[in-house]
Amino acid sequence: MKLPQGGKSELTFVGSLFLLGALVFWDTWRTELPAFNLTISPKVFPYAIATILMVLSALLMIAILRGDVATPEGVEPGQPIHKTDLKIFGIVLGSLLSFLLLIERAGFIIAASITFFGITVAFGNKNHARAGIFGTLFITVVYISFTRFLNVQLPAGIFKGL
Amino acid sequence: MSSFNSLMEGFASALTLSNLGFGLLGTFLGTLVGVLPGIGPALAIALLLPITYTVSPASALIMFAAIYYGAMYGGSTTSILLNTPGESGSVITALEGNKMARRGQAGAALATAAIGSFVAGTIATGILAFTAPSIADLAIKVGAAEYVALMLVAFTTVSSLLGASQLRGFIALSIGLVLGLVGADLQSGLARLTFGSDAALEGIETVPVIVSIFALGEALYIASRFKDEGWQVISMKGKALMSRQDWKRSWKPWIRGTFLGFPLGVVPAGGSEVPTFLSYSIEKKLTKHPEEFGHGAIEGVAGPEAANNANAAGALVPLLALGLPTSATAAVILVAFQTYQIQPGPTLFLTNGALIWTLIASLFIGNALLLVLNLPLVRFWVKLLHVPRPYLFAGIVTFALLGAYAINTSVFDVQVAIAIGLVGFLFRRFGMPITPLILGLILGPNLELQFRRALQISGGDYSTLWASPLSKILYAVLIIALFTPIIARVMKKVRKEVIQ
Repeated sequence: MKLPQGGKSELTFVGSLFLLGALVFWDTWRTELPAFNLTISPKVFPYAIATILMVLSALLMIAILRGDVATPEGVEPGQPIHKTDLKIFGIVLGSLLSFLLLIERAGFIIAASITFFGITVAFGNKNHARAGIFGTLFITVVYISFTRFLNVQLPAGIFKGL
Repeated sequence: MSSFNSLMEGFASALTLSNLGFGLLGTFLGTLVGVLPGIGPALAIALLLPITYTVSPASALIMFAAIYYGAMYGGSTTSILLNTPGESGSVITALEGNKMARRGQAGAALATAAIGSFVAGTIATGILAFTAPSIADLAIKVGAAEYVALMLVAFTTVSSLLGASQLRGFIALSIGLVLGLVGADLQSGLARLTFGSDAALEGIETVPVIVSIFALGEALYIASRFKDEGWQVISMKGKALMSRQDWKRSWKPWIRGTFLGFPLGVVPAGGSEVPTFLSYSIEKKLTKHPEEFGHGAIEGVAGPEAANNANAAGALVPLLALGLPTSATAAVILVAFQTYQIQPGPTLFLTNGALIWTLIASLFIGNALLLVLNLPLVRFWVKLLHVPRPYLFAGIVTFALLGAYAINTSVFDVQVAIAIGLVGFLFRRFGMPITPLILGLILGPNLELQFRRALQISGGDYSTLWASPLSKILYAVLIIALFTPIIARVMKKVRKEVIQ
């Protein structure tokens, strides 16, 4: 039997949701209950949710095998489904991860400026010098207004003490 | 004390100079963010939440109400001039309003949307002010078991009505429920799904989840799959004004839209999509200019925009009176209240009466400020639509990450945000609706709490869950919603008519 376009990747996705349900079930099963007695154990809910998730994912997998493949957002039913551009996806994800790695090591200004620049590249901006300069200025203004005027603490990083 | 007196006191506390200042600032910021393409009201409010943390609860609520209406107003401007609806409620506005703009009637479209939203918002807030307290009075008698039934009904309707597939809606809901489980159990202290992480014991913060699933998910999705598509902003000539003829054709759709949108907001009907589509279909049947529909008919903007705004106010009724959000935007508002240490629900009018009346008064004021300020300023807002896409998304993404980090100054929240961004991408790619996930995350812990409370009272006897007449009715509604998707079928028909 041949699956419609996009069916295989959707099966993988829904299969991983089934595994998530199994993971919730296993994690609930292995934890030990506190000694005192509760009318309703804190395990009832996780067991129920895990079971529901596994049953529904299994049903959806069957539906996909029968040809009920999802329509991606922004695409009309029946239109061909484009492939994800993995290189661009990687640039966006890399920009997000660099924020995570740098925020406490190098500070907000550096981390956010790199993220800002990375996203402009991913969205096809060609003038890199302008994006870099504008992004850094914008982030610096954001940093100053949040820390000085809104009392939101953001890490200064290497600019500490300035 | 009567509602009227309480409301007047609300106005008195909202109308101080500094609070009006916060209202103005909120209107400005809400419109500013709401007008940015691709940002719906739920995301706009969530992005701006951190700003309201630093001021007093009353001022924060006023700013918040202004942001709320500002974001909705900004969203319709973008729909009309750019044809990029930020949420399902603006789809019709984008459809018909954009056509008007293409015919050179952008000003009239913007005006009928703004004035219609004002009329609908004012009427609907008025009804809200006089119905929510009496519903809350009734709701005080609602017990834990009935709450469980009520939440299950909300879950079912929202999961069934949104998106094309019921099954996918319920899976989205389950993922939200799983996210809600993470952390130490409130009653027993049992660590659930933390996998040894101390940061995870506190549970998953809802604001970063909402922001990331919209903002980061959208950035990943649009960048990697719609990279070649650009935007075409329609230039606006003249002023945002309506002719005598436009007024004549708009006022009835405004009123009809209001009375369609409000009740459909009070019952959990899955947000603003149903009322806006129904309003469009009704206006199409009643109009004297059927030939214009599909090519830019002013009734097709006036009605749905009014329905959208009245619907948003209607959704505040179950939110304030029962603590039950029925749309993504209402869920964000619930989270906002909780961060101000206000717990919406039946006791709210007793415990925090003054604050709530301030909020309701602020909704009136915010709505009026918006009309007075924004129609003249429309040219300024239109300029924002010309921000290049790379810069726009870069700004949205960095703000989302900033918000995730700043809420607890913790790297864990950034990790969660990025993971949720990936989930948002996958949900878009595989056609799963996002609102059920958000409702599951926010209401899941509440559902568990009420469920256990009910069973503790009954000593572990499960039949208590469906013992009362109200519970029986609610479960009957649930079964009907589950197995006879009547509304879904009506919507399918309406949608077909709209497209034709």
